[in-house]
Amino acid sequence: MPEIQKSKDSKYRPYIKRLAIIFAACFVIALVFNEAAYRIQKDSNDRAPQLVQIVIPAGTAARVAAGEPVPSIPPGVSFVEGDVLEVINQDSVNHQLGPLWIPAGTSASLAMDNPEKLSYSCSFQTSKFLDILVRPATTYSDRISGLSISVPTLTALVFVYSLAALPLDGREKKENDARSAETNG
Amino acid sequence: MKSKVVLFGAGIFIGLALVLGGWGIYKVGYQFHGSVINPPVRAADFSLIDQNGTSYRLSDQRGKTVLLFFGYTHCPDECPGTLAQFKQIKQQIGGKAKDVEFVMITVDPTRDTREQLHNYVPGFDPAFIGLTGSPADLEQVWKSYGVYVSPAPADSQGNYEVGHNTRIYLIDKQGDWRITYPYGMESSQIAEDLDHLLN
Repeated sequence: MPEIQKSKDSKYRPYIKRLAIIFAACFVIALVFNEAAYRIQKDSNDRAPQLVQIVIPAGTAARVAAGEPVPSIPPGVSFVEGDVLEVINQDSVNHQLGPLWIPAGTSASLAMDNPEKLSYSCSFQTSKFLDILVRPATTYSDRISGLSISVPTLTALVFVYSLAALPLDGREKKENDARSAETNG
Repeated sequence: MKSKVVLFGAGIFIGLALVLGGWGIYKVGYQFHGSVINPPVRAADFSLIDQNGTSYRLSDQRGKTVLLFFGYTHCPDECPGTLAQFKQIKQQIGGKAKDVEFVMITVDPTRDTREQLHNYVPGFDPAFIGLTGSPADLEQVWKSYGVYVSPAPADSQGNYEVGHNTRIYLIDKQGDWRITYPYGMESSQIAEDLDHLLN
């Protein structure tokens, strides 16, 4: 019985060996291609999370009341998921931005944890609103899940192709048969 | 004998390092979930009337942490949602709740009389405080806290909604604005922050 088992193992061994080699090769190829594609198509805003600061300069409330825009404050801000927004209020009056309450002379911060597009009510814009765009970040887990899809698929395709293009009846099979004969005595 | 002393000394040293390191991480590493006001500044003081007709002055609450929001009793969504959240927070912080005051200030003084607040706010928790006052006093408070109040036109039955901010203000024991929370933040996160502050 053990001999039959051994014989069966030997029968599949060349397939397993070939599959392992192809898997390793496909892993490297997929890794290189995925990374290259990621870097070529990467959005310029896709970066590691960071601190994004908005400074409300002194005199902002007076300018806004007069209907004059504050040049240093953009009408909208783009974030990457995980960024932290810090609003620094250098004005002499309290300001607010959506859920942020920023008393005069202080700062307040907000973590941008969810990809979303919204318009916050804003006391330091003449329009009374500030557009916020939070883009999803491409994480390592996204890239690994990309590999987990591409590597098995590529391996299966190349393996099937290899069986058709280089059948195991050739040198590899003969070597294996010889090895089996030696093993069986 | 000498090696035992060295081992004993090393054990004490490592133990101390772990305790101090852990304490340092605990003290330095805590990240509040809400929007932290840095540095904390004195919250605008006010004096209003609670649901029992008693005067309530913010500066008299020093030594207690105050969770405060602006709402109204006829609100269909955010205000009862926030009061329900206050109830959850109170349960989550357990015995420490005795050092916290949960306060709603009305944005609808026409309908939110003392009696109306008395009928509504304690329904969530008898310890919760609903505040009202004269329109002039309330407008001053709304302005100090950056609250916009925008009543919508009344329908045929005279019902109307009032647009207003939904953030929650956390005022610490020193009477300073410390943190604000957007509507919809998890109760457990606010409770965690409170728990940390009350420690």
